[in-house]
Amino acid sequence: MSKETKTSIAILVTGLLLIALYWFAPEKTAQKKQGSITVEEKIILPKNAPEVYQDIPEVQSYIKDIREMVNRGEAVLPLQGRELDDRAQKAQEILLKDQEFLKDTMQDGRILHNDMMRILPAIVSTLDAGAKQICQPHACYQAEKYNFVTNVTTRAIVDVRNARVLSVQRYQNMQPDISLRLARIARAIALNAPEVKQELGAKPSVTDVSMANVRGALQESPCENSAHLCVAPVFADHSKERALWAIVDLTELKLVAAKWTRLGKTTTPARISERSLQNRYIMENFCQKNTLLERNGWKLFYRLTGSDGLEVIDASYRGRPVLASAKIVDWHVSYQQEGAGQLDTTTEAYMEGRRVEFVQAGDGTYFFGYNDAMGCPMFSTSVVLPFNAPQIKKLNNGFMLIQDYRNPKWPMACNYRYENRFEFFDDGSFRVAGVNIGRGCGDNAFYRPLMRIDMALGGKEKFYKYEGKWEQWKQERMDDSRDAAFHEDGRYLYKITSGADGSRGYYIEPNRGQFQDASRGDNARVFATKFQTGEGEQDLLTLGSCCDLDQDGVERYLEDSASIDGENIVLWYVPRVHNDAREGHEYCWADTAIGDNGNPFVKEWPCVVGPKFVPVK
Amino acid sequence: MAVCGRAKICAGQVKGRALRKYASILASLMLLAIAGYVAVHQKNKEIAVTDGGEKPPGLGGFSRSADCARLPQFLGRLKIPQPVLIDLSQKRYTGIALHYGQNYEQTLHPEAWEKYEHFGTYTLNERGDIYLSPTPFISVRPTTFDLQKNIYKLDTKTGALSALMHIDDVRPSASNPYGIISLAYDCEDRTLWVSAIDETDYQSQKGVIYHIDPGAKKILQTVEGFDALTVLLLRTGKGKFLLAGSARDNALYAYAVADGAVSPRRLKLLELPTVNEHIRKIKIAGDNHLELQAIPFSYTLLAQSASRDRTYYDAKWDVAASKWKLEKRE
Repeated sequence: MSKETKTSIAILVTGLLLIALYWFAPEKTAQKKQGSITVEEKIILPKNAPEVYQDIPEVQSYIKDIREMVNRGEAVLPLQGRELDDRAQKAQEILLKDQEFLKDTMQDGRILHNDMMRILPAIVSTLDAGAKQICQPHACYQAEKYNFVTNVTTRAIVDVRNARVLSVQRYQNMQPDISLRLARIARAIALNAPEVKQELGAKPSVTDVSMANVRGALQESPCENSAHLCVAPVFADHSKERALWAIVDLTELKLVAAKWTRLGKTTTPARISERSLQNRYIMENFCQKNTLLERNGWKLFYRLTGSDGLEVIDASYRGRPVLASAKIVDWHVSYQQEGAGQLDTTTEAYMEGRRVEFVQAGDGTYFFGYNDAMGCPMFSTSVVLPFNAPQIKKLNNGFMLIQDYRNPKWPMACNYRYENRFEFFDDGSFRVAGVNIGRGCGDNAFYRPLMRIDMALGGKEKFYKYEGKWEQWKQERMDDSRDAAFHEDGRYLYKITSGADGSRGYYIEPNRGQFQDASRGDNARVFATKFQTGEGEQDLLTLGSCCDLDQDGVERYLEDSASIDGENIVLWYVPRVHNDAREGHEYCWADTAIGDNGNPFVKEWPCVVGPKFVPVK
Repeated sequence: MAVCGRAKICAGQVKGRALRKYASILASLMLLAIAGYVAVHQKNKEIAVTDGGEKPPGLGGFSRSADCARLPQFLGRLKIPQPVLIDLSQKRYTGIALHYGQNYEQTLHPEAWEKYEHFGTYTLNERGDIYLSPTPFISVRPTTFDLQKNIYKLDTKTGALSALMHIDDVRPSASNPYGIISLAYDCEDRTLWVSAIDETDYQSQKGVIYHIDPGAKKILQTVEGFDALTVLLLRTGKGKFLLAGSARDNALYAYAVADGAVSPRRLKLLELPTVNEHIRKIKIAGDNHLELQAIPFSYTLLAQSASRDRTYYDAKWDVAASKWKLEKRE
């Protein structure tokens, strides 16, 4: 065999082996491809309040027209003349007087905002037999309107020649193709969105944007879990083979999210939704890594945990460590009811799909409820999920870091909304706060957020309670702040200091309604425990009973009564809030109402709880 | 025609000799180039299908043929009439409950059936044993993670509920509370196909499909790298397929099954229109017709089991056009 033949056989065998290796490694290749998509995709969530869109001329004129329409006692904003031919114009006139078509435009005497979306010649082949017979010789028109309050699309067939409405059908939770006017408004919102301008590097022009995703059929909307009317105008950047999709909520007239994608088949509008973009953005930026925040002398990191809400870690003020960790582990929710004698607790009970725990009180009443964990939107044990990313807001004398958590259908019954809030002030003081914005399953509810606060005052700390003078706690214990007879300076009930330097530390000022936020006080129980591994330094699963008001769950950490004199102390602060649904006295409550413009809005009565920490002078 | 002298070798002759000398090497290279091109082309075609290409692979026709599933024998002993509704909704009853009688108003639910907490899916064998997969529900208890590692069996004769098999490799945690999540019984070889999604995290998909001999309690095969929220066996004109609804995306996939083993190559069949929907149940509704039930799923605890969170689709397979027609049910 010649040398050349041997070489050719070797080449052939090696090559075939390499091809076989390549062929049998399918997953790797596919993942690589998916990975490259992930790298290229960038998600942008809005940082500006929706009010920035109110000044856009198209939006202003639309809002004005809606207000005038409602003032006239009408509920459907008609299509403008240029969107209609003569017969369509006539069809619109017929429909705007038709009782069946207008049947869903009022609720409890209030007008609900509707828009006529389009009126086009009916496609006869899609009609039922009866309509077909009429529409073959006559001109029939198909009209669609959308109810912004109920999220219902109504479709009607009109025989224009005989001025008759042939059929009216309603489609729950479906959105129609939008009118040209709304398409212009969506385009204007996208063009004027500060986030879009920032991404594109300049204010885009109207020719840069296309509305490729205006729907041709009834489909689910990509925002607010398909409960709002939304569209996604797109800005294509052909030179870089990428496109910026901007999701615009036409129910609330604002940008809700944007996303860079590759240009191509695999990134269609159907795959874009506000929820999925929010989830990915939050996971990648706040669940997978810590974020540094430096402001007003404060330096801290924050992150979203799996089930313990927003956590602030390693906070320092002017270079001196203050906090190792602060977070809200759980919200215990319990409702008090009469009739403990008739209570059957032999089987588990559920309310709106949630498992309910029952605890009998001694006075013939019983408590039922559950524990709500807040956490990352994916890969976690939380049931109340983050809504939008953490926000930083200015205060008069400092700033606050907040994270909003909601059940998707809040403020409907048995859906909850909690805010984790950390306020940092310019004088080195700070506040750990929990905010409840209802609505829950009803009144007579007790909410107990479990706050875990681990100070960083040198590792060896001392804890005091003010009882006319400062008394040190030598061992782990619990205290009910409601029983307090004295407060230092009329404000401070507890104090935590460095073990090495008693002048370095913080007074703890329970909220008794003095923080001018309409709070009715914390009524908190306070626990001081020695730092132990496995006692909350990592994600804690549900701690304790939702409904035994004598037990907050932290009691288990007091069992060995460990010394806390000069130890790393963990402070557990558990406020107790009673909600109120009485008209004029609402507290920890939310309700939906119809506004003057025929659109729904949520009335909120938040309750804010949590202590303030003030540096020892 | 040019003639070359003896002393002078013309260029054409040199070329010819060199060509003949290296012909075998050139032929090898050409062969490899063709084979390489075909391999890359075919594979990219495969990936295109996996990533949502327009033309799904040919499945062949299928129908709702009678499978081997039988209802438990203890129902006869208890004189419980058919039909019987198997309830895993966890709304009123923890674990499993059986409803029967007019409008399914009567219920069989011994307390012992609550022992292993919540179940997500079931499958029946030819004897009437019910195999069950666990699910975490609403909140986590100290036992929850351990319970996700088991396949459960409700005995056809005694009605006793027990953990049939424990899979140590399944390790749920606070960052992904799910373990074994779905199962399907294979009447032909009396085996179970079981999916688990415990090790998956945000970055990567690490779910496993286990092929299990329930008699010997032995794992026969594993397919790694895919999170199946549900599995179902489908026999078609072109062979047997394991259908799998993805927990990761809004698509339905298929693995070819031949000689009792599943091919690791996964084919994408169709995609639901909404990105947040994941196929949780697949039913053969008729000839070339699947009913798909979709739920929102993000590897967090399910807090709501209300029917309004479930969406139903009819997926009809056009054999001639090799095309799915997907319709959402109102």
